[in-house]
Amino acid sequence: MSIVSVEHVSKDYMLGKTVVPALRDVSLAVGKGEFLSIAGPSGSGKTTLLNLVGCVDTPTAGRVIVAGQDTARLSERALTELRLRTIGFIFQSFNLVSVLSVFQNVEFPLLLQGGQTRKERAERVLALLDAVGIAEHARHRPSELSGGQRQRVAIARALVTRPALVLADEPTANLDSETGGNIIDLMKEMNRRDGTTFIFSTHDPKVMAHASALVRIEDGRIASREDLDAARLAGGR
Amino acid sequence: MIGVDLMIAGRNLARHTRRNLFLGGALAAVTALLVLLGALTAGMESAMMQSATTLMTGHVNVGGFFKITSGSAAPLVSQYPRVLETVRARVPEVDYVTVRGRGWAKAVSEHVSMDLVLAGVDVAHEPTFRKVLHVVEGDLEALSQPGTVLLFEGQAERLKVKVNDVLTLSAPTARGVNNTADVRVAAIARNVGLLSAFSAFIQADTLRQLYGLSPATTGAIHLYLRDPKDAPRVAARLRTALAEAGYRVMEPEAQPYWMKLMQTVPSEDWTGQKLDVTTADDEMGQFKQFILALRVVTGLLVVILMVVVVIGILNTLAIAIRERTREIGALRAIGMQRRKVLWLFVLETALLGLLGTGAGVAVALAVAGAVNAAGIALPEAVQVFLAQERLRFLLDPGAIATDALVLAAVAVLAAVFPARRAARLKPVTAMHHVG
Ligand SMILES: Nc1ncnc2c1ncn2[C@@H]1O[C@H](COP(=O)(O)OP(=O)(O)OP(=O)(O)O)[C@@H](O)[C@H]1O
Ligand SMILES: [Mg+2]
Repeated sequence: MSIVSVEHVSKDYMLGKTVVPALRDVSLAVGKGEFLSIAGPSGSGKTTLLNLVGCVDTPTAGRVIVAGQDTARLSERALTELRLRTIGFIFQSFNLVSVLSVFQNVEFPLLLQGGQTRKERAERVLALLDAVGIAEHARHRPSELSGGQRQRVAIARALVTRPALVLADEPTANLDSETGGNIIDLMKEMNRRDGTTFIFSTHDPKVMAHASALVRIEDGRIASREDLDAARLAGGR
Repeated sequence: MIGVDLMIAGRNLARHTRRNLFLGGALAAVTALLVLLGALTAGMESAMMQSATTLMTGHVNVGGFFKITSGSAAPLVSQYPRVLETVRARVPEVDYVTVRGRGWAKAVSEHVSMDLVLAGVDVAHEPTFRKVLHVVEGDLEALSQPGTVLLFEGQAERLKVKVNDVLTLSAPTARGVNNTADVRVAAIARNVGLLSAFSAFIQADTLRQLYGLSPATTGAIHLYLRDPKDAPRVAARLRTALAEAGYRVMEPEAQPYWMKLMQTVPSEDWTGQKLDVTTADDEMGQFKQFILALRVVTGLLVVILMVVVVIGILNTLAIAIRERTREIGALRAIGMQRRKVLWLFVLETALLGLLGTGAGVAVALAVAGAVNAAGIALPEAVQVFLAQERLRFLLDPGAIATDALVLAAVAVLAAVFPARRAARLKPVTAMHHVG
């Protein structure tokens, strides 16, 4: 049973009067617990694909099914609910709320969900801050942190609602390679620990190497899909 | 959640201190102006109505006109004790009643002359007279003696008379001949604005003698009610009651009696006695219109200034939304509903609105308090115009709260449109917008 199913999806952008095809007849199934990397040259359609899977954009043709729900049939409100409860986002440029502290940023999705006591929220937030190694900065504002630290906060924010699916569009692009490596390790650890499905895009071969599966996109089409875990096993590692 | 919302709104405001200080300051200035102008108008109105309802009119008056020929008119109620009986029987709301003679005469001193509207009073039966009049020279009690008159300072100055000086009054009687009477100045009172410009008080019987009237004749019966708000109801009831008692009663018309005397009544085709029941608002109609005009001007001024503030709010929010596009997109992506985005921007403006109007009210209260305490005397010309001697703000908490809340509400309404645009931002912008 796959958590994401993209079926014959095309996406055209209008640039003035010219049609820019960003995705052409893309089909992709992502299973629960995968740690999937999307790779491809700039402009190949990685962000577009993630946006469609993340229900923040709608396809021109085809179906996107997330957690068993056909997204085309959902209202704007229901899509927002789906994002809130099922999907976690990690952005390339972190996108934290600048006027809230690290703690409050991570707590925010729980407040949007509602239904938890202050104590329950605090426990969960602190546990996650601890897991991503940023607990001592809980009271700081994002502007007081380094890029790597901010991305850790963003990961904690994406995971705090225990989503089934986490989407990350080039999460390491704004970080140096060592910090980027640490962030990927952290995501991988969360993937292993909770079985959360991760889909992330990247240009960086070192980052791709951590993935359980690698999907290559070229010119809006899926060029290949490799099962890296299987390859690793076959290679005797 | 509301706590976090408030925190976000407050901190976003604080993030752009300069432009929000400017906007909040403008809002504060408009609020302060509105509150101060309102308090000034209310101060004038209250000062005027307070002295007027003692000196010029009751809450309800039963006056009347007597016409010997259809082309003439005198402001008289003949056989007033019988009218008074009906009044007392039918108006249980009454606190006390006074009886006033009405007249108009030329006052001649050794040096000059001037026209005076005369009210014939029986000081012994005027319970609030001494509260409203500040006698600066002479004695109010002396006005109970025949042949005496009370002038206001301005009149005394113009006529160049002092207490115990004698004036000659010359008045046209109902029969068309001029009567004269010599009267002694019993007291001189401090000016009470517009009223003191033209009206003076004379002992009631002396006024009757001047016009050659019987003791059962007077100008008007003033009714003072326990609650002045009852006036229109009481007036309506009295009209019916007096008509039932066999009197001819005039149709209600919101004009002071002397306007009717000069303009409408002499051209009406009837003779004999008619009664006219009026309220304080009728008698003070022109003053009320002046106050109304003042309020309209104030309102227009505030509306114009508010338009400027609203444009400022629209601009500021447009900038804030552009600056925060990516943040809004990210929040929408992680599951914030559109309504919530709208709410956050509206809350931010509401906070600014309440802080701004609150500051404005505080400034206005401080200014009004200081001015009232200082007791700044107005120049004479302005005194007549504003109907008061000192600049005085009357602060009504209800009116002030309404002013502040209305202005804050306008600010919030102005915020709704740009905030709706923010709420419609697509969450995709979080990824695409490079800022
Ligand atoms: N909003 C848009 N309007 C018009 N064209 C767009 C828009 N977004 C993307 N495109 C176009 O769609 C194609 C795919 O873009 P996309 O952003 O998905 O590529 P990408 O693989 O994420 O590239 P990068 O690695 O540079 O992030 C590109 O040709 C791009 O120019
Ligand atoms: Mg991209």
